[in-house]
Amino acid sequence: MNFRNILSEIEKTDPEVYERLSDRRHILKGFGAKVAVAALPLAIGSLFKKAYGKSTDAVTAALNFALELEYFEFNFFHIANNVTGLGLIPTVDQPGFQMIETQEKAHVNFLIATITALGGTPFTPNHYAAANSVPPYVPAAYDFTGAASTAYYPVFANVFNDYPTFLIAAQTFEDTVVRAYNGQMTNLLGNSLFTQVQQLLATEGRHAAYIRLIRRNMGATEIPAPWINNNIPPTSPVPGSINVLQPFYIGEDNATQLNVTITSLPDGTGTVPEWSATAAFDEPLSQAAITGIGGLLTPFILS
Amino acid sequence: MDKVNDPSRRRFFQITGGIAGAGILFSACHGTTGPTNSYLGSGDTALLNYLYVLEQLEADFYTKAVAAQYYNMSNLEYLALCDVRDQEIAHKEFIQALLGKNAIAAVTTNFSNVNFSDRTSVLTNAAMLEDLVIAGFNGAAGLFSSASLNLVQVFSKLVSVEGRHSAYFRDALTHNTFTDSTVVDSNGLNISSTPLSVLASVQQFLVTQFDSSNLPN
Repeated sequence: MNFRNILSEIEKTDPEVYERLSDRRHILKGFGAKVAVAALPLAIGSLFKKAYGKSTDAVTAALNFALELEYFEFNFFHIANNVTGLGLIPTVDQPGFQMIETQEKAHVNFLIATITALGGTPFTPNHYAAANSVPPYVPAAYDFTGAASTAYYPVFANVFNDYPTFLIAAQTFEDTVVRAYNGQMTNLLGNSLFTQVQQLLATEGRHAAYIRLIRRNMGATEIPAPWINNNIPPTSPVPGSINVLQPFYIGEDNATQLNVTITSLPDGTGTVPEWSATAAFDEPLSQAAITGIGGLLTPFILS
Repeated sequence: MDKVNDPSRRRFFQITGGIAGAGILFSACHGTTGPTNSYLGSGDTALLNYLYVLEQLEADFYTKAVAAQYYNMSNLEYLALCDVRDQEIAHKEFIQALLGKNAIAAVTTNFSNVNFSDRTSVLTNAAMLEDLVIAGFNGAAGLFSSASLNLVQVFSKLVSVEGRHSAYFRDALTHNTFTDSTVVDSNGLNISSTPLSVLASVQQFLVTQFDSSNLPN
């Protein structure tokens, strides 16, 4: 994506972007022709800071957290699709997981371009410069078997050589990313980028549903729906796995939105059942809960 | 740029709304708006009523689909359809609660083009409706005033669920189409559409016509 595309994308959700930048319109015209390529990110950054003011830092932080999660997802699916070579994913499902990988990569690139345009420094995973890195593929940054955690490892040890285990991890990761985005929307409220991040969130919802549907049709014990009923985690045959998987779904059973009790609303024959009142909305998770100390995904991320 | 904020246009509609039976003025509207149309309101109220229309449409579609039970429906498919119906009812009632007395009357739907006894027809139309609703919520998010940002935020929690619905119906119809390039662009962003464009697309399922003259777009 080049600079003009970024502006055009922002214009879709913020028609006033050119007005915000009006004093600097002549500068925009100069871009691409007169400004040295190396100076471009810096110049664009200062431009947007002036246009959007002090909220830029919070916006950049939210986008960088999203970027961190997109790297995480891309690497997970890239390994599953390309690296193991063990026939992990059945032929019939391979096109779907390749599409997910492609879109996670697109998200990485979109967020890098957007953060750069805002004048921020895009997040890079640990070990970004490792010898085996081919960004956005940074395999040294992750251990998806969860070996860093004695609790996680029994559940995820076979993540890349057992399809049901892979699906449990994939579902948990996608649901968590949906929740992460929902947790960050508050930092984007009133910002022109809100819509685009919501568009990205909707795509993540699609990914999560696909994995859940595969598990549903494979006869997973808890009979998962494509959406999250109550706070039901995926079931794994590993003893004690509930203790590892349940925390990813804490708070998903919320049935009150903006002080409206969804379970009190009429549904034609009675009131909306809790089963569906909770599924009708995805629920946020904080950054600290996901990648902080003791965070849900932290054991998969190598320091 | 924003037709709604064009004062001359707004005045025009105030005048036409105020003079019932003024044939010349109504002919200028080409019959697309008139006194019998459901007026969505203006500003945030209009946007909410617009989203309320979309959720009413979905809720009624799934209510009919569950009642009809298309031929060869598996038990898992029946349960999923009941789930989606209940979730869309929850969305509809939630938005109605937010609107309070500003809510428009219940819309009258027209699903005569849907064969509710045919699996392909139901899944195809369900996916199309879901995709329109997602695009509609995306396109509306940036149009609300700063006073309604709390609504915008909670709607994002609903949009990812609509994404789940669409992925389900698309994939049940044709495996691996849950996030294809017809609904997700090359940046990985689910498509977004303006209110007027979505309203025009869903009109085929509605008897009720709308006066969307003050709907932000």
